[in-house]
Amino acid sequence: MERRKFLNLGLVAAAAVLTPMTDLFAVNFRETKPKAWAAEKSADAIKEMFGAGELKKTDKIKFVAPKLAENGGSIPITLSTDLDIETIALFQDANPRAATVVFSVPEGQKVDYSFRIKMRQTAVVTIVAKAKDGTLYTTGKEIDVSIGGCGG
Amino acid sequence: MGKKMKIKAKEKGGVVKVKAMFTSLMADKEEAEKKKIKAEYISYIVGKANGKVVFEATTSGFMAENPLLKFSFTGAKKGDELEFTLTDNHGETQVGKKKIK
Repeated sequence: MERRKFLNLGLVAAAAVLTPMTDLFAVNFRETKPKAWAAEKSADAIKEMFGAGELKKTDKIKFVAPKLAENGGSIPITLSTDLDIETIALFQDANPRAATVVFSVPEGQKVDYSFRIKMRQTAVVTIVAKAKDGTLYTTGKEIDVSIGGCGG
Repeated sequence: MGKKMKIKAKEKGGVVKVKAMFTSLMADKEEAEKKKIKAEYISYIVGKANGKVVFEATTSGFMAENPLLKFSFTGAKKGDELEFTLTDNHGETQVGKKKIK
């Protein structure tokens, strides 16, 4: 009986390890994590997207953004890192909802993204990245917006 | 859904540098209400080369109008084709292709 229990446990553990690996590609986070896109505050959106795990502050993720943005309708952002990242996302507290963009980094590719965002007002922008080993990294800064974007 | 899709892709030493510009107002509901237009934004972008996903992003209406993206990837060479598929908030899709230079 003891042995049978042990075997069963082994099977359950194996199944648990195997399932999350089935679909690494093509994740539309709007479908899989709809709550994260509805959250108003960065902290809530991060919890919905990445879970309540501990966020490690890092300087290994390069986050380039202007300190002062004259035009809140188009703020250039660059994200790059050599860390082995699976998902990297940007959140801000300036707009009606926090989640702005989530990149799924394809197998074998590095994080090196430039894009532009909108911000209605001065606020903190938070980057959260999930490494392949499950560690959650974070970095962020405040961006001053003199003329708000988003039609505001 | 916007009409124009501008893609530039250049390979050098195994790394393909990509610049892509998509046409979309990227207006979420609050902004659309203010401007009295229909909410319209690209919500999902996938880039593929040689049948492999090389770029993937879920986006929102808080990306700037006419999103300009820059990124680089490995695993393709000159002459290969890079293909983007955009999906907007209404579920409409648009496909754009470009040969890598």
